[in-house]
Amino acid sequence: MLSSKIRMMRRIFFLIFLIALLGAGYAHGDDTALMLHKSVLSDETGAAAASETVWNSEEGTGETHMSPVAPKSHDDEEAIDEEEEGQEMGEVTIADPLEFFNRAMFQFNDKLYFWVVKPVAQGYSKVVPEIGRSSIKNFFSNLGFPKRFISCLFQADFSGAATELGRFVVNTVWGIGGLLDPAANKDLSLQKQNADIGQTLGRYGLGHGFYVVWPVFGPSSLRDTIDIVGEHFQYPFTYTDPWYVGPSVRACESVNSASLRIGDYEALKEAAIDPYVALRNAYAQYRQKMVQKKEKGEAPAPDGEKPEQRIFQ
Amino acid sequence: MKRLLVGFMILFISLFCMTAFAGTATEAVDDTANEVIAVLKNKSLGTAAKKERLEVIYKRMFDEVELSRLSLGRNWNKLTASQQQEFVQLFRKTLENAYANKITDYKDEKVKITGERALSADRAEVQTKVISASKGIPVLYRLKLKEGKWKVYDVVIENVSLVQNYRAQFREILMKNSPDQLIEILRKKAISDVGKPSRN
Repeated sequence: MLSSKIRMMRRIFFLIFLIALLGAGYAHGDDTALMLHKSVLSDETGAAAASETVWNSEEGTGETHMSPVAPKSHDDEEAIDEEEEGQEMGEVTIADPLEFFNRAMFQFNDKLYFWVVKPVAQGYSKVVPEIGRSSIKNFFSNLGFPKRFISCLFQADFSGAATELGRFVVNTVWGIGGLLDPAANKDLSLQKQNADIGQTLGRYGLGHGFYVVWPVFGPSSLRDTIDIVGEHFQYPFTYTDPWYVGPSVRACESVNSASLRIGDYEALKEAAIDPYVALRNAYAQYRQKMVQKKEKGEAPAPDGEKPEQRIFQ
Repeated sequence: MKRLLVGFMILFISLFCMTAFAGTATEAVDDTANEVIAVLKNKSLGTAAKKERLEVIYKRMFDEVELSRLSLGRNWNKLTASQQQEFVQLFRKTLENAYANKITDYKDEKVKITGERALSADRAEVQTKVISASKGIPVLYRLKLKEGKWKVYDVVIENVSLVQNYRAQFREILMKNSPDQLIEILRKKAISDVGKPSRN
């Protein structure tokens, strides 16, 4: 009796939350649209300048690209320096005041992977063929719909939210409860929107804070830690009755996804000179791109930009 | 008047031909990807032979010096000429050892080119997707036109730039160590990795 009451309350809260979200989304709508419009405009001029240089290059003059101060004698070197500077300016860094703790957690996760996750995933992948595991991955990915949908709404990305909703319906109904992904095929082309709360906050300008490596959950940051918490509440199995169903399902999902990625971590570790720094930087770069991409992806591509970007298709 | 027109036409055509002669960055990536897949698929070759052939392709396709230089960033100038040379070699060895194990993992993955973007007059980014049975991984190649050939100077796998990743590592190492010590670290890594069997 009590538990059903609690569940009812939860549902009502969820509804209120959704409505509030929608309201917030609309309230923000105009601002973001304006901002996006501005960024599109500046992008356009950028693209125009870029295309100019491309055309100029046929006559062998790339000065527009060179910095005005640079003498022309060391063309190559200057270009590299500039490239370096450009890359260094856009270089992604993340503060790491907890390095001592993080390194210890990194070691812990490393052992966890090699001693537990990998052997289990390997055994599992011997039993279940790749297609089956891929379907299971689709199934779990379909369950992640609430998280992506809400994050899209939060970001005032209504087309993204609509895409997610469409995907969820199509894949649940025609994709055998999400095992298949018919929404992503050529005709419908509803692609998964990789949206999460950390990304949403990043999009609104919040930085990482600092780097944290959590045991079991792995690399994260102060900002992105909210995802670990939030994901828990937006995960449908969290609300199933005995309490241990949720975590068990999560474990299954992890093993399944690990079985599809065996070798990735090893490659990263083997290629790295300092694996801890390599993983930290990879995490920072990956998250940065996710925040940026969302910004870019939302802006409708201006006509002048598209052919430049996609010459070959 | 007519002559002038014809003259202009020829000028224009030859201008376009010049770019055509160099080939596009996309073509360079596409050709190389096909070559690599052909080697990987070739069942008559052993792992060692495959490795050898891939090394030739790698040397042709990658601008090793620039890759090393960008990976070190500003620190590149702290190395003497001979240190730089050794660094380039050791860096190649590191990459080779890390990715050579992947040769045996090849399972009919395909490379699909999804786009190209001009970064500057002589730099381009070719966007590809490595497609396997269960996933598509976005891989971007950044190329620079050098002496009429497109050469790769950075690879971005799933939004993570290789050059930037190494730069972060080398920076950290060089904060506490001298360039000599860095080369020593690389040397040790190269040696310790050689005898290691495939982890998979």
